Amino acid sequence: MERSPERSFWHRIQQIPRHYVYLLLAGVVVWQLLFPIRLPVVPSSATKGVYDAIAAVPDDKLVVISTDWDASTEAETAPQTQAVMHACFQHGKRFAIMNLQPPMGVKLANDLAEEAAREYGAEYGIDWCNWGYKYGYENVLMALGKNIPKAIGDDFYGRPVTELPMMEGVEDIEGVGLVVIVTGLSAMTEMWIGLIQGPYGTPLATAYTAVMAPIYYPYLDSGQMKGMLVGAKGAAELEALVDRPGKASAIMNVQSWAHVLIIALIVLGNLGYLFARGRRGERAS
Amino acid sequence: MNPDVYVLWAAAIATLGVYTILHRENPISRLFEHIFVGLSAGYLLVATWTLNLEGKWWAPMIHERRWYWIFAPIVGFLFYFIYSRRLTWLARLVMGLFIGAASGTFFRQFFPLFAPQVTASFKSVRAQAGMNLQEFFFSVVLQNWLFVIILLTVLSYFFFSVPHEGRFGRNLGRASLVGRWFLMIAFGAMFGNTVMARLSLFIGRMSFLLHDWLGSLLPWFGQHGL
Amino acid sequence: MALLRAVWSLFQPAPNRGVLLAAIVAAAILSVFILYALHRTLGPRGRRWLIAVVTFIAGLFFGLEFFWPVKGEPPKNFLTDWIEPVSTMIAVIGAFTVGLGIYSLCQVHGRNVAQRRPGWHNSLTFFLAMLAMLAFGLWEHYLHLPQPLPKVVPWQKGIYEILFNGLFAPLQAATFSLLAFYIASAAYRAFRIRTAEAALMMAAAFIVMLGQVPFGAWLTSSIPVDAGWAFFRIELLGEWVMRWLNMPAQRGIVFGIAIGALAMSLRIWLSLERGTFFTEQS
Repeated sequence: MERSPERSFWHRIQQIPRHYVYLLLAGVVVWQLLFPIRLPVVPSSATKGVYDAIAAVPDDKLVVISTDWDASTEAETAPQTQAVMHACFQHGKRFAIMNLQPPMGVKLANDLAEEAAREYGAEYGIDWCNWGYKYGYENVLMALGKNIPKAIGDDFYGRPVTELPMMEGVEDIEGVGLVVIVTGLSAMTEMWIGLIQGPYGTPLATAYTAVMAPIYYPYLDSGQMKGMLVGAKGAAELEALVDRPGKASAIMNVQSWAHVLIIALIVLGNLGYLFARGRRGERAS
Repeated sequence: MNPDVYVLWAAAIATLGVYTILHRENPISRLFEHIFVGLSAGYLLVATWTLNLEGKWWAPMIHERRWYWIFAPIVGFLFYFIYSRRLTWLARLVMGLFIGAASGTFFRQFFPLFAPQVTASFKSVRAQAGMNLQEFFFSVVLQNWLFVIILLTVLSYFFFSVPHEGRFGRNLGRASLVGRWFLMIAFGAMFGNTVMARLSLFIGRMSFLLHDWLGSLLPWFGQHGL
Repeated sequence: MALLRAVWSLFQPAPNRGVLLAAIVAAAILSVFILYALHRTLGPRGRRWLIAVVTFIAGLFFGLEFFWPVKGEPPKNFLTDWIEPVSTMIAVIGAFTVGLGIYSLCQVHGRNVAQRRPGWHNSLTFFLAMLAMLAFGLWEHYLHLPQPLPKVVPWQKGIYEILFNGLFAPLQAATFSLLAFYIASAAYRAFRIRTAEAALMMAAAFIVMLGQVPFGAWLTSSIPVDAGWAFFRIELLGEWVMRWLNMPAQRGIVFGIAIGALAMSLRIWLSLERGTFFTEQS
């Protein structure tokens, strides 16, 4: 007795219940988290650009890290931020964290900075500081270019930024040697390039979630960005460059097999579609 | 008080509570969704006051006697007339201020943002002196030539004001078809990156559950895999 | 007690306080009168005209400062020194809009609780969470804790950390991590190669997915890095796809967006647009 088309093997292979797909994904991830097959991560030229840009910052200038991310992209942007902070501390570059949107990012980044500062014996206000969340998007950046203390006001802890020792002599954007944008939101980069990098020539490096990164390759090509970190992969590459393997390196071990699973599922679904369509064609003729 | 243990357990329970939605919609996940929205609203208020208004408005107005800052809330609260049918125009008045400012700001950003994109699009399609055939193929043909072809065909795809009729129109149509192929390649690359991003988020959460939370209960989990 | 002291410190007496208060009250009353007068005297056309004028002036200020010739060192024109104060003022005004979304949320959830609709206890939880974060967030801020933080912190800070790092951040991270399951399921069920273009898209996706991970690099690690055909190492192939196939296409999109955004900005600045915001609803 011939099976009806809906019950053929090739049809059923296209309709595995979603709970099994979820369990398969969770199983692969748990397996690799507990028994990782470690493979080396090779830094790309885009990541090296970020590392070199940090190293090239003059000693009398600040690095501004704009942490425009929140917990929704934490798995990618937190390791990126952490790796950038490690690079700054290792090269002896002072940095200031700030945030334009969303407000959560500045507290998460602050926690990361405190952790890194303990490791390097860095002091708040001397080696790093947190300018906090500043609402206003372009208006904040336009004000930042002209007068940083007035644009920022108080830091994350409610102290006027002018009271911080590292802010002595930092009046306007000329006191900033590099801006590193770590973000999961689009439109932030365009604001920084249009209002700070373009008009003042301030070097810019970026770190994006993998979703957004393809859109910003044109800015890397034009030289408007010195370098770019792409998702957890970029974070893992920078961790390798600063010799501090962390969460991103662990994620990349797992990522390999998760990608293989996704590819296998797509191939499976298409094989089922191809052969099911072939059989339907045979039956019709 | 050392909150670390409480933070760990609260985070684990919250994560598992959200993951119950993978089975189906249920009261536990709905409860945690409402908790999240409430915390988000509360934090927004805290951050806006402590990190913005207190230092940039209240302190100058009250402690430095810059009385003109009183106009900031007067103008700002005009936004709330959006809820009044008769006085909505006051909200549109202040929205006009912001929209006008945004437009003006865009004019400022336009040239610094896009002019380098135009100049960077002029790539050399000739061999450099001393280049051998292999170098020419991999660095000029597979890069610059491809760049020019893709850019022009993709731009032709977005040229909607010229009909694909007549000799020029038909050639434009063929170019836009090629542009569509290249756009599909770009979208495929974006899809690959999107998969990587989404998986990273889940891997990050599972790493927390296994290494941090379970690791605090059973050292084996904390040691394995890191 | 510390909280009360912190609130009182916000109202530290300043010299000439009497004059200050009088000026604030006078300015506020005058502003209300001006707005009332405008509301009474202007009809719909007058109001549209006023909104258009305000929009135009706001855009003109920023645009003019950019285009007006500069001179001196540092280069500036007659508007340059006003950029920072005006931008800061606009940012502060914008910060007062924080209540818009909060008001809508409170309205929806307040109605649920007041009318005991199904799921009203979830709405009550919303209010409790919001008030808890507001209270402990402000309380933690006004404790003015020393830097670096000690291991044992005041209980107010502890509860704030539980709310933020124990609930807020993990809830958001977990919610967005669900997308991994959905993308896996969607890729399996919906990604079908029905056309040549879909095949191109999938090929690019596979190359990028393998090129981004160490496993992909290991697959083609037998190809020497300095060989002529090192191009076919999957990580280099993936990077080539991103930089030389994806990038020009994205730039083409960027050019299109640039022209469109410029045209829209010009239309909005000149109040030529029609739509929900731009026309008064009767």
